[in-house]
Amino acid sequence: MEMEFVAKRCGVRFDPPSIVLVYEDGKTKKIRQRIMPVRNFSKYSDCSQAAERLKNNTRHRAYLRDVTSRQLERLHVVLRDRLLGRTLEQSLASLRLDPNQDLNKLSDEELARKKAQMDVLFERNRKCKDDPDFVYDLEVEFPEADDHETCSWDESEDGF
Amino acid sequence: MARGTSDISELDQEKYDTDEQVKIICLGDSAVGKSKLMERFLMDGYRPEQLSTYALTLYKYTTTIDGKAVLVDFWDTAGQERFQSMHPSYYYKAHACIMVFDVQRKITYKNLTNWYKELREYRPEIPCIVVANKIDADMKVTQRNFNFAKKQGLPLYYVSAADGTNVVKLFKDAIKLAMSYKKNSNNFMDEVMRELENFELEQKEESSDKEDGVPKEEKPSLP
Ligand SMILES: Nc1nc2c(ncn2[C@@H]2O[C@H](COP(=O)(O)OP(=O)(O)O)[C@@H](O)[C@H]2O)c(=O)[nH]1
Ligand SMILES: [Mg+2]
Repeated sequence: MEMEFVAKRCGVRFDPPSIVLVYEDGKTKKIRQRIMPVRNFSKYSDCSQAAERLKNNTRHRAYLRDVTSRQLERLHVVLRDRLLGRTLEQSLASLRLDPNQDLNKLSDEELARKKAQMDVLFERNRKCKDDPDFVYDLEVEFPEADDHETCSWDESEDGF
Repeated sequence: MARGTSDISELDQEKYDTDEQVKIICLGDSAVGKSKLMERFLMDGYRPEQLSTYALTLYKYTTTIDGKAVLVDFWDTAGQERFQSMHPSYYYKAHACIMVFDVQRKITYKNLTNWYKELREYRPEIPCIVVANKIDADMKVTQRNFNFAKKQGLPLYYVSAADGTNVVKLFKDAIKLAMSYKKNSNNFMDEVMRELENFELEQKEESSDKEDGVPKEEKPSLP
């Protein structure tokens, strides 16, 4: 079946707090923009609940079918951060994974955000009990060869 | 060192001296996947014991070794790793350690040095396994040597909590190592006692002023 609306991009508008969706109309092939105001939303709101609410909204859900809950949640996080007085840069940085950042130094909430980011790949690569090729005790040998390249992480002065 | 949580030393840990109880601790930075690894080993439906006042999660596991039931307590941190240091009671009486880093984040590998140093301050000779987690994200890392493990003479396991690669093997081997450490450390104590008895006897023949060599709980030096 052909999709009625094909989501292309999404973003936020701060005033009033809204989620913006750019999509293609399946029939006319025209690119259109849809602005969905986020209602009853405050800095105390639960972003994942708010995202679910929007996704299930009878007026919007046909448009949001391609947009994951996770992405909607992230957009809500950006909106809420604004209500908490954070800049867009701070907000985006907290949603991005920087491999060099020391995650030990984060607050509970900031760490949870990073883990939510990591969960995308984790879920993608995850093998569950119900998968037909699931093996509980999956053993793979990675034989150690002498010609193994030395990890570049070791090539520095600090104590290794 | 209360750190806003109750003192773990209140917990009864004498039970770990008995033959059928083992304590294995997990170490490593925030978000390297310590808890996900535990969950993958024990599978869904398992409910760990949250000791939130101690910032600690206990995973209890029962297995049979040489026909005897053994209770394994896996200790996982619940945020205490943020202080990049654990309460001494976390290490107390541990029989093995699983030390994890994230192959996607160099800093977690570099921090192994600190974790290992702290581990050895409290437990100079328990077996320790180094774990390179998240290999599903980049299989190429399995082609690399990570010198830290080699340099310390520690086994290195390439694992993925996501797809399950080598997770069960890791935990089973950790239990085996913990059990053999337990057995051998007891034997070692016996040896020391016997040696001391002989020593005292010999000493008496020669002179009466003897030095008291009370055996310590642990061997003082690394092999
Ligand atoms: N791709 C991938 N991600 C993982 C793996 N293990 C853990 N993660 C991700 O890393 C995040 C942190 O894991 P967690 O077990 O909470 O780390 P802990 O703080 O060390 O207990 C999780 O939310 C997952 O998204 C893995 O094997 N592969
Ligand atoms: Mg954890």
